[in-house]
Amino acid sequence: MSETLHFAEHRLQEMALLFMAIVYTLRIRWLLRFPAGKERQAPSGSRMITSKQGILNSWLNVAKPWAMESTRTRPFFYAQFVIFHLGVVASIGLSFVIPYLPSLLQSPLLVRLLQISIGAACLVGIIRMVRRLSVPVMRKISSPDDYFSLTLLTVWFFFAMLAVPNETAQGESILLIYFTLTAFFLIYVPFSKISHYLYYPFTRYYLGKTMARRGVLPQIRG
Amino acid sequence: MVTENRSYNAQKVIERLAKKVNRQMAGSLAACVHCGMCTQSCHYVLANPDDPTFAPAYKADRIRRLFKRHLDWTGRIIPWWVKAGSVYTDEELAELMDTVFGKCTNCRRCTLNCPMGVDLAVVNRMARGLLVSVGVMPEGVAVVSKDQWEIGNQMGVLKEDYLETLDWMSEELQQELKDPAVGIPIDKFDCEVVYSINPREVKYDPRSIADAAKIFHFAEENWTMPSEGWDMTNFGLFSGDDDLGGAVARRLYEKVEDLRGKKLVISECGHGYRSTRCEGPNWAKYDVPFEMESSVITMLRYIKEGRIKVDPSKNDISVTYHDSCNNARSCGMTEEPRELLSYVVKDFREMHPNRAENYCCTGGGGAMSMSEYTPRRLKSAVVKADQLRATGAGVVVTSCHNCVDGLTDLIRHYKLGMQVTQLVNLVANALVIEERVAIPVEIVPEVTAAGSLAGRKILVVDDEPDILTFFASVLADNGAEVIEAREGQEALLKARSEKPDLVTLDISMPGQDGGKVFEALRRDPDLALTPVCIITGRPELRRLIYDRPVPPPDGYLDKPVNEETLLLNVKKILKVV
Repeated sequence: MSETLHFAEHRLQEMALLFMAIVYTLRIRWLLRFPAGKERQAPSGSRMITSKQGILNSWLNVAKPWAMESTRTRPFFYAQFVIFHLGVVASIGLSFVIPYLPSLLQSPLLVRLLQISIGAACLVGIIRMVRRLSVPVMRKISSPDDYFSLTLLTVWFFFAMLAVPNETAQGESILLIYFTLTAFFLIYVPFSKISHYLYYPFTRYYLGKTMARRGVLPQIRG
Repeated sequence: MVTENRSYNAQKVIERLAKKVNRQMAGSLAACVHCGMCTQSCHYVLANPDDPTFAPAYKADRIRRLFKRHLDWTGRIIPWWVKAGSVYTDEELAELMDTVFGKCTNCRRCTLNCPMGVDLAVVNRMARGLLVSVGVMPEGVAVVSKDQWEIGNQMGVLKEDYLETLDWMSEELQQELKDPAVGIPIDKFDCEVVYSINPREVKYDPRSIADAAKIFHFAEENWTMPSEGWDMTNFGLFSGDDDLGGAVARRLYEKVEDLRGKKLVISECGHGYRSTRCEGPNWAKYDVPFEMESSVITMLRYIKEGRIKVDPSKNDISVTYHDSCNNARSCGMTEEPRELLSYVVKDFREMHPNRAENYCCTGGGGAMSMSEYTPRRLKSAVVKADQLRATGAGVVVTSCHNCVDGLTDLIRHYKLGMQVTQLVNLVANALVIEERVAIPVEIVPEVTAAGSLAGRKILVVDDEPDILTFFASVLADNGAEVIEAREGQEALLKARSEKPDLVTLDISMPGQDGGKVFEALRRDPDLALTPVCIITGRPELRRLIYDRPVPPPDGYLDKPVNEETLLLNVKKILKVV
C-alpha cells in the first residue's frame, strides 16, 4: 500500500470525520438556540398515547411504509428509498472496514453482498436523477445542491462498489478515488441536504410528540 | 443581514422572521430533502397536475428560501446553491401572499405524508403571520381579523343580535316542546357546561343553537351560554397572528372562569375546536383550569350514559361523514363522530380516504373569506367532489362550520345534489322525547312557510340576474311583495317610491355600488329606519358598509345564500316568528 493510499484511508478520513463532528455539533447547537415552546394543551383524541410512545412511533416511521399514504401507495418508491439508504450505510461501513477490519472482505459472500447492495443503490441514484430531471415538479423544487448531492452519492456508490474487494494488485486508483470521495462527502455533508438525517430526529420528535398528544399519530385507518 | 434596497414591509418581514421561527419550524425549514413525496397529497396539485407551483414543497420553499438566506448557514454564504433568497419589494410580498393564502388551506395533509416529518402547514401559517404583521393579506382576512379584534367575534355579530337570537331560539323551543321551562340560560354561574359557539350559527344557522339547547335540556344538563366572549372560533389560526389567537382564546377562557364553569363545550367547528382546545392555551400562555371538549363528545357521552335516548330511524337518510382537517389531522377526533353517527343514523357510508387521510373541504384555512381565490378553490374542489360522489350518500355530515360552507359551495358548483348537515342536527332530530305532563302556555300561532312574509314589501337589489330571480322567487313564494332593482340608482328610486319594509342589498354593482346606496338610504329621513340586509359574495368589501358614519345594517349575509338562510334572516330582521 502506498503512503498516499494509507493517508487517504486513515489520516484523511480521521480529519474529515473530526471536521464533520465539529460542524454537526455546531449545527445542533444552532438548532437548539431556537426556542422550543411550551405545550400547554391537555391531551386530546380517543386514545391515550403517551408522548414517549408518540415520539418512538414517529422515529420508527421510516421503517413503516404502511403508515403514510405517500409510501403505502408507492411501494416501488419506498423500495428505492430502502435500497438507497442501505447503500449509504454499506458504503460508509466500507470506509471503516477497509482500513480497520480488512480481513472481513476475504469472504467472497460478503464482498458480493456489499457490491450488490451498493450497486443497487447506485442504480437507484441514477433512477432518482432521471426522475429529478424529467418530472416538472421535481425540476421546480430542485436546487443545485439537490443535483450535486445526488450526483456525488451516485458516483461515490459506483466507486464504493468497485472498491469493495479492496484489491491493490491492479492499482490503487479505485481505492484512492473512493476514499477521497468519502472524505469530501464527510466534509460537504453538513452544508448540504444530505445532512437531513441530523434533523430527522428533531422534526419527527416534535411531530410525534405533538400528534401523539392529540391522538393523531399513529393514525387510525378505516 | 442583507438590508440594501428593501421596502419597509420587506425589511420588517425579514426582521420578524428570526423571532417567529421556533425549533420545530427551524427543523421543518432545514430538513426538507425535496423528495417530492408530499406532492400527491395536496388537493391543489391533484386538481392542477400541470402546475408545479401548487406542490407543497415548492410552496414551502417560497418561505424556506428566506430562512436559508437569513438564518441558515449555506444560504448566507452561497445562496444560489440552495436556492436561498430574500424579499425586497412589496410585489414580492404580494406574490408570497398569493402562495401562502391562495394556494394552501393549511389542511396538514402533506405534513402527515412527509417522511421527514416536515410540518409544512405550520411553516405556511408562520409565513401568513409574518405577512399579516406588516399588513399584507387578502382583504377578507383583514376584515375578519378586525372584527374579531374589535367586536369580539369574526362575523361582527353585535351583542344585542346575539342575545336576540338566543332569545328567539328559546321561544321557538318553548313553542316546539310546549314547555315554558325550556330555554337558553345566559351567564348562569357554577354550571357543569358553558357552551360556546361559532358566530356563523347566530347569522346563518340559529337552528343548530336550538338543537343543542334541546339536547342539553333533555340531558338535564346544568348549562349556560356566556353573554360575552362566546365565540370559540379564532381567526388567528388562519391568519397566523398568534397575538390575535391568544387574545381570542383568553377572552373565552376568562369568561368561563368568571362564570365558574366546570367544562367548556365547543360546538361543532373544526378550527374552533383546534384553536380553543389545542392551540389556544399555547398562544394565550394560559394554563386552562377547566375541561374542554367538543360537543360531539358531549352528545356521545349523553347517549352512552343514558341521559338522552335516540332513534336512528328518525334520520331515514343515507349519510357519509367528512372529517374536518382540524378535527382529524390536528386534534385526533375521528372515532367519536362515527360512533355518534352509529347511534343516530342507519345508513352510513364511509368516505374514502377518511379520518386523518381525508381531503380538505377546500374551504379551510380561511379560504371562504378570501373571495379572490374562489375560482382556484372551486377548481381544486374537484377532488372532494369525486370523493363525495363515490359514496352515493344523499347527505354529508361534518363537524365543522367551515366545512359546511365549503362543502355546500362545491356541491352546488359540481351539481352533486347532496345536503350538508351537522351531528347536532341529526342528534336533535333523533331524540326520543317521552311524553310529559303538558303545561299550558300561550302559544303563538305557528306561521306556515308559505305566507309567513305576507303583507311585507321587500326590495331586492342585485346586479346578477340569476341571484335576483332566485331571491325574488323565494321571497315571493313565501308571500312577500317583491320589488326588483338591478343597480344602485334604480334601487334608490324604487326605495323612495315604494317604501319597502326591507331592502336586501348587494355591494358590488356597476354604477353606484351598494356601499353608497346603503349610506344614501340611511341618510334619507324617510328611509333611515328601513331595515337593510347586505348580501354579498365579497366579504372583504364589508368595510365599505361598516366604515360608513351611519348606523350599521340590520343583517349581513355572505353569498352563496340558500333558501333557508335567506328566509331565516329575512324573518329575523322583520321579526316574523
